[in-house]
Amino acid sequence: MSSPIIEVSELVKKYGDRLAVNGVSFQIQEGEIFGLLGPNGAGKTTTLSILSTLLQPDAGKVQINGYDLAQDAERIKPLIGLVPQELALYPTLSAWDNLAFFGRIYGLRGRRLREQIDFVLELVGLRDRAGDAVETFSGGMKRRLNLAAGLIHQPRLLFLDEPTVGVDPQSRNFIFEHIERLKAAGMTILYTTHYMEEAERLCDRVAIMDEGRILALDTPQKLIGLLGGGVIHLAIPSDFISMLLPAIRALPHVQAVSPLDGRIKIETTEARSALLELIQLCHARDVPILSLEILEPSLESVFLHLTGKHLRD
Amino acid sequence: MLQQILALTWKDLKIFFKDPGAVVLIFLQPFMFIVVMSYALGGLFEPGKGAIHILAVNQDRGSQAAAILQQLDALDAFVVETRWEGQPLTREMAERLIVEGKRNLALIFPPDFSEVLEQIAERHSTRIVFLADPTASAQVVEPIQGTLQGLIERRVFIARMPKGIDFLLDTLAPQMSREQREAFKAQAEQAISGGLVGGDSPVVTVEREAPTGMRVEKYPNTFQQNVPGYTIYGLFWIVSLLTSSVLRERREGTFRRLLAAPMRRATILAGKFLPYYLINLVQLLIMLGASSLLFKMSLGYSSLGLVVVSLAAAAASTGLGVLIAGLARTDSQVGGLTVLLLLTMSALGGCFVPRFIMPDWLKTLGLITPHAWALDAYQDLLVRGYGLREVLPKAGALLMFAAAFFGIGISRFRFD
Repeated sequence: MSSPIIEVSELVKKYGDRLAVNGVSFQIQEGEIFGLLGPNGAGKTTTLSILSTLLQPDAGKVQINGYDLAQDAERIKPLIGLVPQELALYPTLSAWDNLAFFGRIYGLRGRRLREQIDFVLELVGLRDRAGDAVETFSGGMKRRLNLAAGLIHQPRLLFLDEPTVGVDPQSRNFIFEHIERLKAAGMTILYTTHYMEEAERLCDRVAIMDEGRILALDTPQKLIGLLGGGVIHLAIPSDFISMLLPAIRALPHVQAVSPLDGRIKIETTEARSALLELIQLCHARDVPILSLEILEPSLESVFLHLTGKHLRD
Repeated sequence: MLQQILALTWKDLKIFFKDPGAVVLIFLQPFMFIVVMSYALGGLFEPGKGAIHILAVNQDRGSQAAAILQQLDALDAFVVETRWEGQPLTREMAERLIVEGKRNLALIFPPDFSEVLEQIAERHSTRIVFLADPTASAQVVEPIQGTLQGLIERRVFIARMPKGIDFLLDTLAPQMSREQREAFKAQAEQAISGGLVGGDSPVVTVEREAPTGMRVEKYPNTFQQNVPGYTIYGLFWIVSLLTSSVLRERREGTFRRLLAAPMRRATILAGKFLPYYLINLVQLLIMLGASSLLFKMSLGYSSLGLVVVSLAAAAASTGLGVLIAGLARTDSQVGGLTVLLLLTMSALGGCFVPRFIMPDWLKTLGLITPHAWALDAYQDLLVRGYGLREVLPKAGALLMFAAAFFGIGISRFRFD
């Protein structure tokens, strides 16, 4: 395996007493789409800001393309295309003027600049709106232009910070297609999101983050596999919980059982069969069922499984 | 680095010129102030323009009141109106015109005015009524009263002189024949009136001169008096634009994108502030150039002095913008703080009211504003006819303001 293009080890960032990033480590291979998945405040944007040279870490080490971030930030910057969460564009300027400005900042001039502007406008499907002021664009078009501005200097690494926030489903699909095209062209992408379906669809590997820490890191399929056949949350009167736990554990499609906030968390090998067995068990023991929740295998349920919280909490 | 600064500058200039509100604020607003205020206050600086209209109700049975009114009307500062719509004015008509706001001053001469002026032995007195709208300021009313008093004193002397000579001759030379007496009186009247009441060669004249060292070949017109003040007032509105632009870049995340690009923070700041400095210079060029071309305003005698003062004033103005951008965190802070600061500084600095009429403590307080130094420097060049050497200390003071503003503003500047 070739050496990773990004290596992050034991990264720490504090804001006052709060640890925004708490010992985060990961590696990203060239050509890979790497996702940071977690709720707001998980530390994704802080991690991405450090990697973009916008923030200084309090501890830890980052190497990008062999350069040490602490020593060689100016060599690292041209390698990165940053697409911030905000629509970091000048609304009164045209799409062309915006891209020309960001291109010049990265040293593009003359014919090369014009060609590159045409290329990225074509890529995001905005060539026919090149001369229009950005303020006249729809939300989805602005997001696409935001992406184009990050690509104007042909970076090796693209950092996308929640690039689909506030975007309609059609534009979201459009953006997904662009990202898949960039991946096919060999670009390395770091992608932060709190939408599990985006991480599942786009990312080769995903790091699930919460409260500044990485809780799990693997391919989406393997992470989902952590749940086996799915998880069931069963609520029954508390008097019955200790009595029922051994019986549930003995059911054929149940892997593991544990109490969780007044409920019982049941990890299964196959959720629907386990559900039937549970209902029959409660009926036979005359235990009233207060509620039943099935978590089908997904990154969302993996996050819930790992943290006890929903991604959108 | 230079190319990045130019790219940033060009971008902000484009954004500025695409915003009609900003262009109006920076160019049109001060220019309209210059035009309106210069014409409105033209009478204060140019003789004959904006003369004060005075209604005159002449009830005098003799000729003395008419003579005084004729002399008053002959002065450039006043227009005396004794008739209204073809009718001789009465007190009732004059009072009505003042109540209706058509005029605000009226003189009413009593019927016995000439008789009282011409009396010698008796000590009768009379009075002229000066009707004035209460809104007429003391600066207008008091000079009229003074002028009128002077004209009356002169009139008293002229009116009483023939009888006075008769009185002296009766007392000192009662034996003098009637023919001798008349010949003496005629010569005496001619000699005295020629010297004392404005004959062909008055004994005393008053001439206006500028202090030594000031090169004033022609007294400044209303534009030369008003253009510097309102130009300085308009110049500092760049603070509002610069600060809003910085807050917008913070809010919309474009600073984050720029910080991630391969350039130093100093380059971003230089590229961010340079366009506003250039806009200030263009603003000065337009204000002074247009006033010179359209209103024939003299630009003084030192082009170099004008360039140096303009560069320094623009630096102080842009610097104040950097200071506020460094301190302000929200749009509402910028809106309220900027308007309060700019209007207060403009007023203290003498942009609206000349500093020479302010009390001493306020004049001294005004020196804490760059406005006062810039205004004084421009008045030195445009009005007082000074050159570069005389304005260098003031340009230096402006550069010190600029250095302090930039220093504090940049040290407190935040990109997010």
